[in-house]
Amino acid sequence: MSGGPPKALPSTGPHSLRDMPHPLAGSSSEEAVGGDSTPSPDLLMARSFGDKDLILPNGGTPAGTSSPASSSSLLNRLQLDDDIDGETRDLFVTVDDPKKHVCTMETYITYRITTKSTRVEFDLPEYSVRRRYQDFDWLRNKLEESQPTHLIPPLPEKFVVKGVVDRFSEEFVETRRKALDKFLKRITDHPVLSFNEHFHVFLTAKDLNAYKKQGMALLTRVGESVKHVTGGYKLRSRPLEFAAVGEYLDTFALKLGTIDRIAQRIIKEEIEYLVELREYGPVYSTWSALEGELAEPLEGVSACIGNCSAALEELTDDMTEDFLPVLREYILYSDSMKSVLKKRDQVQAEYEAKLEAVAVRKEERPKVPADVEKCQDRMECFNADLKADMERWQNNKRQDFRQLLMGMADKNIHYYEKCLMAWESIIPLLQERQEAK
Amino acid sequence: MEQAPPDPERLLQPAPLEPLGNPDAGLESVVVEEADRPRDEGSGDGTMTENNFWLKKIEISVSEAEKRTGRNAMNMQETYTAYLIETRSVEHTDGQSVLTDSLWRRYSEFELLRNYLLVCYPHIVVPPLPEKRAEFVWHKLSADNMDPDFVERRRIGLENFLLRVASHPILCRDKIFYLFLTQEGNWKETVNETGFQLKADSRLKALNATFRVKNPDKRFTELKHYGDELQSVISHLLRVRARVADRLYGVYKVHGNYGRVFSEWSAIEKEMGDGLQSAGHHMDVYASSIDDILEDEEHYADQLKEYLFYAEALRAVCRKHELMQYDLEMAAQDLASKKQQCEELATGTVRTFSLKGMTTKLFGQETPEQREARIKVLEDQISEGEQQLKSKNLEGREFVKNAWADIERFKEQKNRDLKEALISYAVMQISMCKKGIQVWTNAKECFSKM
Repeated sequence: MSGGPPKALPSTGPHSLRDMPHPLAGSSSEEAVGGDSTPSPDLLMARSFGDKDLILPNGGTPAGTSSPASSSSLLNRLQLDDDIDGETRDLFVTVDDPKKHVCTMETYITYRITTKSTRVEFDLPEYSVRRRYQDFDWLRNKLEESQPTHLIPPLPEKFVVKGVVDRFSEEFVETRRKALDKFLKRITDHPVLSFNEHFHVFLTAKDLNAYKKQGMALLTRVGESVKHVTGGYKLRSRPLEFAAVGEYLDTFALKLGTIDRIAQRIIKEEIEYLVELREYGPVYSTWSALEGELAEPLEGVSACIGNCSAALEELTDDMTEDFLPVLREYILYSDSMKSVLKKRDQVQAEYEAKLEAVAVRKEERPKVPADVEKCQDRMECFNADLKADMERWQNNKRQDFRQLLMGMADKNIHYYEKCLMAWESIIPLLQERQEAK
Repeated sequence: MEQAPPDPERLLQPAPLEPLGNPDAGLESVVVEEADRPRDEGSGDGTMTENNFWLKKIEISVSEAEKRTGRNAMNMQETYTAYLIETRSVEHTDGQSVLTDSLWRRYSEFELLRNYLLVCYPHIVVPPLPEKRAEFVWHKLSADNMDPDFVERRRIGLENFLLRVASHPILCRDKIFYLFLTQEGNWKETVNETGFQLKADSRLKALNATFRVKNPDKRFTELKHYGDELQSVISHLLRVRARVADRLYGVYKVHGNYGRVFSEWSAIEKEMGDGLQSAGHHMDVYASSIDDILEDEEHYADQLKEYLFYAEALRAVCRKHELMQYDLEMAAQDLASKKQQCEELATGTVRTFSLKGMTTKLFGQETPEQREARIKVLEDQISEGEQQLKSKNLEGREFVKNAWADIERFKEQKNRDLKEALISYAVMQISMCKKGIQVWTNAKECFSKM
């Protein structure tokens, strides 16, 4: 905190990173120990790249960087290809290995975050840290604050709303882990967000709490300015593309909600069907015990129904764990998108209001006053960022849903295949002629 | 067998196993006369005798069902369904079938036929009728007797009943059965005139026998137990199966909602629209496929039901045996007691209590003449009793032999039929799985094009 930034950098990003001397942060802060030692030029250069991104008016296209995998090329790749080639990626993040921690005050789960990167900002090729949900929540808030013109991916819900679900049950933890993994991967894939300072710290710092405390007071310039846009400005007209997106999102969220309800209902019906099947199969066994020649065939049918029951249980479990959460995530995603759109509206409204006020005054020369210009900047920056994000979101949405729905179809196909195999295998048993007694 | 009027005539012999040349003893002459008819009718082509009539292939079908209204016994209007029974004889030479008889019957007439067969052939496991009222229904299936699907399934069930009777080596020769197929009018009266109802065993007597019989053939006891268990397990199976059908219906139908929402969603999408729309169509196909699937499954349920009712027929044979055995035991007991009485009178010792003995003590000894008279009566009774016991014994053994033969035949039939039913059920399930795979594969392809 006390050590000022090296003078060469015109950065405004959170500098506490450099001053964070955690003795146990062995992997990332060799240079930070002691606080006053000057970081090597390479590292400085790397840091500046990240910071420069933060203050660029057009967030998506940094100019003149030496980073091999620049945001623009990444963006291009995202927009053209549906599948990001593994080889062009230079940052890989995974969430796994949930563990329960029991402390005096509370019990909670942590997840291991593994980061592999060739980016120069990372001192080591690989990092492994543990984070809990709180930390993800913090990260998201930080991202929203520091990148207000960008769409931040949603987190899984903080509290479990529906039903009585055990926070520590395997299924719940696994579902959450997948969602957290998705969250980080989306940030990783974002050409701007993936270079965010907070994100970097989140991935690499051994003691996140210390950083959290220090980071409280600092905001980016842009962030601060956007934050100070107060409501109450009335929007004249929304640009066509944003209006369309707004309408789209409304209907989209509705449809997703309906699909969620249908999927839940199907699972419910399937579970009830399963309950009956579980009673049905054993009756054939009971019957088999009464018979002579028919005993084997009947027992075979009983076993067959048992296999189908197991397959059905797998289907319902899969759908509950894999399908429903992703659906819900997208509902949250479109909610996030809508709130970002609102913010954008506010920025535009403020600009328009200020512009109007100036027009009225007529005192100023053709030269537009600085603060109005700033507003215009802000608005244009926001529009560009948002537009880029929307396109990215649409592509991702298309991919995600294609994958989700194909996955649903796959699960059903596998279920039927298992049942088919079971029934086909007992046909020879049923047709078998009993040896003469 | 209960004989209401003591009848020296041996009534209702189980039909002998050798080819019938003689009309059944005990049936009314009216029936006997009519039994001669096929001989007359068949004499045209020179080859048909009554024996040969049954050796020729006949085809029986219940081909139609029709709603009718009429007046019942209490002169009240009623609606009922009548079934058209067509009998065809198949010429050996060219395989062509010629319609020989065609008449309409209602369910109650089938019931009458069956009751007749039950009474007259107590050693036979008589094929059951399809259920009178729809039971084990799952929600979409109607419990209404007039419902066309129910009527259709009943038509098939009745046809099955007639085919079973016609293919039974003994039952197929029955005159009343033959008349059922050929004589439309007056058949009911004909059946009733046989007086078979009088020969039916009373329920109470049968129940009594079941409890009190001391030495029934073990096999029949086991068989009865088996019949009880079979009935219980098949009922359970049918009940649960109906619930399973209900649930499965729900699962499929809810998928139809995907069709609608995908269609609505596709309207706001650009590239994803087509894929979603066509996938939605497949969801609709999936949802509607369940109707046919479950209809087919009803056929399986009907096959199970037949054997559910067959279990009752099995038990009836066992009960008959117990009744006969009990009767035999009672007769033997009665004979033994009479013999003892006789002996006591003859020797003058009184070991058993008798009213006569008491009165003798109270009012004085009877005269030698009186005593002689009584001994004579007893000796006559004993002789008659011995005769009856012998014939009852013979009847009992005949019954056991014939019944067991039919039971063996029934067991083979049951195993064959139920195996077939299970196979066809498995085939149905396989078909359902294949359809499911097809639909979801199609949907997956649509999704992949999103």
